[in-house]
Order: sequence, then C-alpha cells, then structure tokens
Amino acid sequence: MKLKDFGRAVLTAATIIPLAVPPAYAQDDTRTEAQKALAGTEVRFLQPSMPQFAALGKFIPEFEEKYGIKVIVDEIPFDQYRQKSLVEMQQGTGAYDLYAVDVMWLAEYAAAGFLDPLMPYVKNEGLTDAGYDIDDFLPRVISGTGVFNDTLYTIPLGAGPVGTTFRADLAEQAGFKLPDRFSPEFNTDYMYDAAKKVHNPESGVIGFANVPGRWFWGVTWLQYLYAFQKPENVGNEYLDKDWKITINNPDTVASIDYFVKLKEFMPADSANWGIGEATAVYQAGGAFGTWNYQDFINGFFEDPAAQATVAGKNVHLHTPAGPHGVIDPWFGAWSFGMSKDSKNKEAAWVFVQWVTSKEIQERATEFGAGPSRHSTYKSETLAKFQPWWIPVYDFMLTTTNPDERARIPEWAEISDIMGQEGSRVWIGEIDAATAAANMETAMTEAMKRGGYYIPGRTDLPKQLWRDLTYYDRLPSEWN
Amino acid sequence: MSNAEISHRPPARRRGLAKRFGPSNRRVFPWVLMAPTLIILFAIGIYPFLYALWIAGQNVILSKPFIPRFFVGLYQYQSVIQDPAFWHAFRTTIWFTLQAVFIEFWLGLGLALLFQRKLRGVSVMQLLILIPMILPPLVAALIWRYMFYPGAGLMTYYSSAVTSWFGLGEVPFLSHPAIAFQTLIFVDVWEWTPFMFLMMAAGLASIPRQPYEAAEIDGASSWRVFWTITMPLLRPAILIAVVIRTMDAFRTYELIVIMTRGGPGNATTTLNLYLTKTGLEFFDASKAAAISLIMMMIIIVMSFVFIRVFRSRTEAAE
Repeated sequence: MKLKDFGRAVLTAATIIPLAVPPAYAQDDTRTEAQKALAGTEVRFLQPSMPQFAALGKFIPEFEEKYGIKVIVDEIPFDQYRQKSLVEMQQGTGAYDLYAVDVMWLAEYAAAGFLDPLMPYVKNEGLTDAGYDIDDFLPRVISGTGVFNDTLYTIPLGAGPVGTTFRADLAEQAGFKLPDRFSPEFNTDYMYDAAKKVHNPESGVIGFANVPGRWFWGVTWLQYLYAFQKPENVGNEYLDKDWKITINNPDTVASIDYFVKLKEFMPADSANWGIGEATAVYQAGGAFGTWNYQDFINGFFEDPAAQATVAGKNVHLHTPAGPHGVIDPWFGAWSFGMSKDSKNKEAAWVFVQWVTSKEIQERATEFGAGPSRHSTYKSETLAKFQPWWIPVYDFMLTTTNPDERARIPEWAEISDIMGQEGSRVWIGEIDAATAAANMETAMTEAMKRGGYYIPGRTDLPKQLWRDLTYYDRLPSEWN
Repeated sequence: MSNAEISHRPPARRRGLAKRFGPSNRRVFPWVLMAPTLIILFAIGIYPFLYALWIAGQNVILSKPFIPRFFVGLYQYQSVIQDPAFWHAFRTTIWFTLQAVFIEFWLGLGLALLFQRKLRGVSVMQLLILIPMILPPLVAALIWRYMFYPGAGLMTYYSSAVTSWFGLGEVPFLSHPAIAFQTLIFVDVWEWTPFMFLMMAAGLASIPRQPYEAAEIDGASSWRVFWTITMPLLRPAILIAVVIRTMDAFRTYELIVIMTRGGPGNATTTLNLYLTKTGLEFFDASKAAAISLIMMMIIIVMSFVFIRVFRSRTEAAE
C-alpha cells in the first residue's frame, strides 16, 4: 500500500469510527427524552474549595458521559466565596447556573430572589430520574438547609454538627480513655482537665489547638455560648422572642472566659489562628485535640495518605456540654442552589438530581463526601469508610437546630461583632464582661438598622428555632 | 463657476457644522478638542463620584433588594460618624500613615544622599533597592505573611533563635496588637522606601551645583549645607513624594488584609478594611458610599494642609 493510500484509509477510519461507535450515554441509556434533549449543553457551577466538593468532583466525568451535559466548575477559596457569589447573583448575569449555598446564607439569597424554587423540578418526571426519592433525605436536614418561607430552594450535600477531635493514643499514654460521642461525661470541665493532662509543649504536643482568630468566633466560640446556657434559657441565647439582643449576661461571660482559658494550651503567637492553622498543628501531631466540622473529618483527619501521623488514631466527639448539661445543637450544611438567572436551568437540575441521588451520594462517601439521606446513613459504604457519621444520625434527626446561627441577613454582622469583641478578650485588651456588653450594644445597633425595632412592624421573620417540629415535615410536602 | 468646481465643494450641512464647531469658532473649538478627554473623565471619575453621592443619600443594601429604597438625607454619614469602629479605624489609619511615611521619607532621603556619592557598585545597589517596589503589593504581602508565619516563617525562626538566648519564646509578630501593627509598618517601609528614594534622587539631581560651591568657599559644614541648601531646594520634590505616599499609605489594603485581616482583635483595622467590610461583607452599599466619601474628604484635607504648609515655608525661604 502506498503511503498516500494508507493516509486516505486512516482518514476514512477516523471519520467513520466515531460515527459507528455510539457515545457511552447511548450504550446504557436510561435518560428520559427531556434529558436526552439537553445533551450538548453546559452547566456552570461556583463552589468553595472544600473536601466534600472535591469528593463529588470525582464523579463529574461520569455525569458528563452519561448525560452529554458538560459541567464547568469554578472553585474559589472559602473566605472569598460569599462575596463572589453574592456579587454574581446581585448582578444577575446568569454567569453561573448553580451555586454552592451555605446554610447560613439561604435566607439572604432566597429573600433577595436570587434562587429558583426546586420542587417543580423535583416533581418533573421528565427531568428527574426515577427513584430520586426526595423523602429519602433527612427531614430536618433538607428543610434546615434548603427551605425558606415553606419553599424548597436547595438540595443538601452532607450536613452535620461541629465537634471536637482528640488523639485516643495520647489519652491512653496519659492514663485515661476518652468517652463516646454524645456521652454526658464529656463536658467543658472534662475537656479542660484532659487537655491539661496531655499538654506538654516541651515534647511538641499542646493540649488543645483552638481557633481564636477574629473571623472564626461566630463558628468556633458559638458552641460554648450555647453550652454555657441554663436549660431554661434555651432559645434565648442571644435573641429573645422580640428580636432584642440578650447576649450580655453571666452565661456569655462564663463562656468567653472558658474559651479564652484554653489559651493556656496554645503558643503565644496563636491569636490569629484560624481553622487552617489549628488543623495543620493537629495533623502534624502537635496537638491532643482540636475543633472539627463533621463534613471535614475525612478530609482533614482520617485520610491515611495525607494525614499519616494522626489518621486512625482519632476519637471524634461533640463539642463539650456546659456546666448545666447543655450541648450545642449545631447545624452545618452546604447545598446546591439554582440561580434564577440561569439560562440552563433544566440541565442544571439534571446535574443536581444526579449528584444528590442515592447511588452517587453513597458512592461519594468513599471519597469523603457526607450523607444527607437515610439510605446513605444506613449504607455499608458509609459504615466502612466513614464510621464516625453513624452516631450523628439520631442527632441530625432530632436534636440539631438549623437556626443555631440565626438565619437572618444580619448574621454576618452579628458574627463579626462576636469575633471582634471576643478576640479582644483573647489578646487581653478587654475582659469578658466588657466584651459581652460591647457585643450587645453593637448587635442591637445592627438589628436596629435591619428594621427589627420599627414599632408596629408585622412582617418580621418567624423564629423557627422555638418550635423545631417545623423542620420535621416530609421533604415532599414543601412547595 | 464650473460644474467641476461645484462638485468638489462640501455639502451645505457639512459646511454648517464646520462653521459651528471648526477651528474658525474660537469659543467652541477648544471644547471640541477636549471633548473625548472630558467624556472619559466624566465616565471614570465624575460619574462614580456622583453615583456614590446619590447612593449615600439612600438606604441601599445589596443583599436585601426587597427593601424599598428611599431618601435618608445625611443619616448614613451620621451613622458612620457615630460608629466607634469608624473612629478606631480612623486613628489606626492616621497612625499607620504618619509612621510609615515618616520612616520611608527619611530612609529614602538617606539612601538618595548616599547614592549621590560616586561609590563602587552603586548602580547595582540602586537596582536591588527598587525590587520591593516592583513587586505587586499582594505578592509582597504574601511573601511577608509566610516570613512571619507562626512556627514556620523565616523571620519567626531566626528571631526565635535570638529571643531564646534571653529565655523568651517566639515573637508574636502578627498575634500581638502592638507588634502586629509595627510589623505592618515594617513591611510597608520595606516596600515603599524605594519610591521615596527614587523621588529624592531625582530631586537631588535637579539641584544646581552653584549654591554648594558657594557654601564650600564660605566653609559651611555639611550639616549646615544640608539644612540650608539641600532641604530648601528639595522641597518641591519632597512635597510631591510625601503627598503621593500619604494618599497611598492612607489607602493601604492588600498588605493588611493578607497579613492580619485587621486583627488581632481590631488592632490593625484601617478605614479601608472598615469600608470593604461594610460594603462587601455586609453589602451595605449606602453606608459604604458614605465611608468612602468621608475618606475622600480626609485625603483632600490632608493633601491641602501639606501643600499649604510646604508652600508657605518655601515662600518664607525665598
């Protein structure tokens, strides 16, 4: 065969073979006609850099192959995420079809009309795979994450509480055994004493790697604010039923004092430590205990390849109960929300329903994603790869409070005020009593500017945390 | 008039335009020439200013588009001025600006005087000195953040080696309010002294030789020559350099946000951080506009005071 003929044959083959071999999605095609019509479209998704999104990202090629829809992910650091997403939404360009939504921002986004309601898509049999089963999601998780004004706006990934992580091996060397998760034995006094027993900076191990940086108090101190309340004060931790700020009280002062007391286990230059610094010290084997968020446990502490020093040696506990036995009812979650300005809403939904389906959620737990479905919690995959989720199941069904951080647009400012005043106590500028008084003044001003104290105003949001049964409806009952 | 001549004449309408806006109209033509510049200036300078003025008189919160907008008069300015956080940020900004510009000016001037002498390797040294200024502020801030990183930074490591001789621990470069503030000034000085050096070197090069020669003949000391000849003749260059650097230091953002984010506590929160927090974290566009207009007024007043003081001294010297 001449070279010219050979070249011609190769060209012909290259043209014909792709036409003859159908794409993967056509080989085992379970798509509906409406889904098939979306092949060739693009979905753009904005997400923060976090382990749970990285876990789901591994499945995107499979989705693209199956549905013929391309998913373009833009990932930005968490501390810039809210700013970037709000600016994008506010401009209304539709540059992104999907946004990752933190539970704290739902009210702000939904009230502003930035998100599209999702229940019409859930109920659209042409777009939603058979067997999606919206009622398989934990009621309090899906409603706490995605429902605003009785309308479903987002679908959750993993959702869980924050807690603490400790080195079981170091406890054993010090002559004690750490209790089980949610055991009442694990309270603030126990945690302090345990940290003190193990604290030995000369040998390179500090008692507790806390997170006192100014920007984190609304996340890392809040558990102690809750824990130090008396049971009769539950629901009024910092807001009363008339939206008046109630944070200036002896329980708050005690909680700040306790949080700052943990400073004795930390190096002198730790006042700015954020989650990154504290976690890094723990990962390197330099701390007995630290803060955790349930959805980060796999990525931050239990990945044998990345955290060889600590993986498999940890005990993951709740945040300690306070002196009156109260445990913080933390609720943390990320979810998928669809931009009202998206030009590819149907394709975006096909991606969301696929990536949050029973099958993908269960498979993704192997790579570090968390559960939000009953079926995932009960799966062998989760028990095998992330057993620390199992004790959390009941907590997420019955105890967690989606409004632990009040889901009002003023929260960003309230959280900032906590950090500003709290960190001043940490660096010794003011005492805890002054901080609590300053917090109350500044937060009251923020609420006043938000219009909460306008006489006769009747359209204030409901304080849903006062009756958590609101969140326990079957997911399919929402609008 | 032939037909050919008639066909080469511009149409009547064009003739009218040329008469109205062309060089023959001495009143209008200069404005025609300036129009493109004025349009650009309006679009990028005046319009945003007017828009900020308008927004500051409203109640616009970007994350709450459902709230009806209405005119609130001077409420936003009042709210800023009554906010203790504003006054804290104001004091921090002024203190930061004064310290940084003062040190940068004297260091820059000292280096310029040193390099005026014909020493070996001066040109290479000059090039090296300019490197910090060439770096983008964000990159410079990141480099220093890692240099001061607790437990791992180069500066932290070497300073610990020194402090350990005295039985002290690691220096909390970014964790102690006063030390963090001085650390920021140190980095700002490192980055912007080259600018002062360049300006002062240019100023020194433009001073004529005659006054120095006369002073030499009169037997004046170096100190006296510096204060009575160099400094007065350098005044125009100093004025420009100090005004530019003051405006710049007043608006420092990247360095602080990268290294301390305004902490620990609020020890390093300057007006620019206070502004961006209000505008881009709380999305309170109206209050942020009021803050930015107040900042603009402060910068204008400061520049005006500088220029007046320098001019009056220059006139007195002349």
